[in-house]
Amino acid sequence: MTAETKESVVLTAMILVFVALYGVFVEDLTGRVRTPPPPEPTPAWATNTGTVRISAAEVIATDGDTSMMECYVCHTEGERQPLKLDSEGRVILVVEHSDLIFGKKRCLTCHDESEEASLELEYDDDGRVILPKGHEDLVLRHGEYGRNNNCYNCHNPDKLDELVTRQGKKYPLSESTMLCVSCHGPTYRDWLRGLHGRTSGYWNREMGEARREPCAACHDPHHPEFPHLRPAPAPRRLHGGQPQAFAGAHRREAGGDGDGGSDENHSAQTAEEPEEG
Amino acid sequence: MQRQPYATGEMSRRSFLRNTAIVSSAVAAMAAALAPLRELDEFPSLEEFLQKHYKELTPEEMDRILKRIADEVEKEYGRRPEIKDYKPLNGVQFVYCLNLTRCVGCRKCVHACVAENNQSRSPEIQYIRVLEMPNGTFDVEQSEHTYQPPAVPREQRYYMPVQCHQCRKPPCVKACPVEATWQEEDGITVVDYDWCIGCRYCEAACPYWARRFNWAKPRIPKDKLNLNMSYLGNRPRKKGVMEKCHFCIQRTRAGRYPACLEVCPTGSRKFGNILDPESEVSYILRNRRVFVLKEEVGTMPRFYYYFDV
Repeated sequence: MTAETKESVVLTAMILVFVALYGVFVEDLTGRVRTPPPPEPTPAWATNTGTVRISAAEVIATDGDTSMMECYVCHTEGERQPLKLDSEGRVILVVEHSDLIFGKKRCLTCHDESEEASLELEYDDDGRVILPKGHEDLVLRHGEYGRNNNCYNCHNPDKLDELVTRQGKKYPLSESTMLCVSCHGPTYRDWLRGLHGRTSGYWNREMGEARREPCAACHDPHHPEFPHLRPAPAPRRLHGGQPQAFAGAHRREAGGDGDGGSDENHSAQTAEEPEEG
Repeated sequence: MQRQPYATGEMSRRSFLRNTAIVSSAVAAMAAALAPLRELDEFPSLEEFLQKHYKELTPEEMDRILKRIADEVEKEYGRRPEIKDYKPLNGVQFVYCLNLTRCVGCRKCVHACVAENNQSRSPEIQYIRVLEMPNGTFDVEQSEHTYQPPAVPREQRYYMPVQCHQCRKPPCVKACPVEATWQEEDGITVVDYDWCIGCRYCEAACPYWARRFNWAKPRIPKDKLNLNMSYLGNRPRKKGVMEKCHFCIQRTRAGRYPACLEVCPTGSRKFGNILDPESEVSYILRNRRVFVLKEEVGTMPRFYYYFDV
């Protein structure tokens, strides 16, 4: 091979390399328009405006938004779910359901006020009340340390579906708010002013009506403490991926890792005690 | 065989390589510089290009613009929106109050806001950020933004949602070089997405980190588009413009409550007309312990936090 041939071979090869590089470079810079990952759908429960005490039965009965009840995303249809019971035999709601309290129907869903038959409590051999049918999941924890745990503090002993205040005033179930008011005066004052509790509809009362919720819409009368809720998804990075890390002081204290929102971090937090609905 | 040195003017291998390298990188650089033009598939129409400032528009011109926007939205999303230019109501000054004792940090407000105001899902834009802080502290810089425990509220933590405070002395408005953002008579600071040049000065000026920038073209699932739209509010934005909370202008100027308030399961959020002595917010400001965030910066927010105790 002569020197000239060698030279031209090298030159041709170099030209090809440069042309190829140029092509790749231009193609890479202009040819590809990077698209962000597809939008993550927001779970329907994150924007549901229902109160915390709406039961599945009630949603269906009122032809409400059932999109939040994607039962079979997690559950298999036809498969029986094992129930967890606490030491006293009550159903413990799993954390995933703490946002939607199943089985905690409001009184009037089942009870008819025109009903004349008086309801009576049955007692077991130890003299304890046997919870009536449909009330098995009832949790009595009214007041701090459960101080208001006696049925007849609020129920009429002679007619259980009638409410009676300490002063002896009687109210039907539909006016349960007035029973609450007999003890919780300042809260009622705030509620009347629109401070306590939810409001929806129109702030401008001339343009439309505002809708207020009664006490029992958010508070279970037997267990009035506001339930713990499942938080809606945390903010994400600009281009998707895991949530942004904000190394807060308390996080460092807790021995958290630098990149917040990792799966290890989540599972560390899920170890917390599940909430009882 | 002895090689002869190259004669003057003849191309040497070295100069060939150098020239090729220079020319090819110059061409590549040129192509790279012009690359953004490839994404300019929709040039603004002449009418859009010559559109006047919001405050100079006659009602007829506004009608034409609204029709144009409705056409654009229909073309892109397949459904025709109900778009209006809501004007401030007479004798109304909006104020927002948020009860820190009640807020449990469930973030439902964040997502209700996104759904109501057609915010981009990817990249994600959210007007409300809920801060989690340990009880007894008040250091927003050290707050937790991405808490995700199985259930909230967590022990020994409290939650503070932050969104646009609709300041009476808005630094963002002062910073805007083109008057694309201004304060309306009812106290809402609005952004005209057709006028914004995307310089982000307002974002830097805001002490509450309330403004969000559309780094990319907003992406909203077609079936999730809220068709009740307002010109200064939740109509779909373009790439390269600022946006922020506007107290749901399309709801509140029609007399309704904002979306974040209606979804709040605890009733922590209160909204109303401060000029009406009977309104909830008037009562709160008169009777509750109220504070504003970063009072010392002198922005005089219309967004108040309060306690139940």
